[in-house]
Amino acid sequence: MKISEVVDKTALEALNGWDDEDLAGVYISDMVSDIITGANGCGLLLTLQTHKSLIAAANLVDVGAVVFAHDKRPAADVVELADKAGIALFTTPADTWSYAVKLFELGMR
Amino acid sequence: MSTCAHTWSMTDIRSGYLVMEGCYHCGARSSFFSLEPVVPIDEYREGEHFWEHLGGYQAVTFNLRCDTCGELVDLHDMTGLMLSTCTDPRCDVGRLALELGKRTSIYVALCADSSHASGSCVSDAGVLALSEYFNQRLRSGRRKIVVVPCKMCDRIDRCEGIVIADTGLTEFYATPARPSKEGDRA
Repeated sequence: MKISEVVDKTALEALNGWDDEDLAGVYISDMVSDIITGANGCGLLLTLQTHKSLIAAANLVDVGAVVFAHDKRPAADVVELADKAGIALFTTPADTWSYAVKLFELGMR
Repeated sequence: MSTCAHTWSMTDIRSGYLVMEGCYHCGARSSFFSLEPVVPIDEYREGEHFWEHLGGYQAVTFNLRCDTCGELVDLHDMTGLMLSTCTDPRCDVGRLALELGKRTSIYVALCADSSHASGSCVSDAGVLALSEYFNQRLRSGRRKIVVVPCKMCDRIDRCEGIVIADTGLTEFYATPARPSKEGDRA
């Protein structure tokens, strides 16, 4: 599924520039040590974590897009780091569970 | 020497705690991975060192195994990974970053003894396997990953980078001040 389709159908707000790439799956985690052992390349990462360390982990495992639940927004230097890494950042007012359900209903696994 | 073009997978993934200790006698620092449900915080003497607990955080350790030939690379000597942001030409890591350009991300494999007083660091085999593993996982073609041992840093204690660790993730940190807009309160 393309990023644009997920953005349109789940009303995401973009926090930086992004290319319309295919998303290969979904991973949900707030722990960076868990992300590097569990997340797959080109997937969507759903999290509450807005620290720079999250981008360092997401970059290592080639995450395609990060969605921050609960309308969380990272600091400017985190967005800048994501820009350098080519990682798209979005935010949603939904809580993690509600947004995960939306992704499931879209057919993402 | 193996002729296998390894295809690596993570194995022996264990969740525990990375415990940091310091010697109040000589100032040495050390760390180890603990699988204990309650993290040990005892002070104890080991040779000339008097170790005391400095802190700890949740962490994961893993090894790499080749799906093709079964070779196992033991990564017990690695305590973490750090995305290097160093561009200091006096540092080997910084020089490498300048040579490789923006599409390559350099990750420093951190060992337990940042002083490298014992002469040991993350093994060459471990560093090579980590580089191969993370590059094999890349799907987008946006970037390349290079893993280097922390002994390559000019001064690891001053090295610029972002450690992938589950510590301090909810703390405030200083960010550059934004230019004030007209009408903003001083």
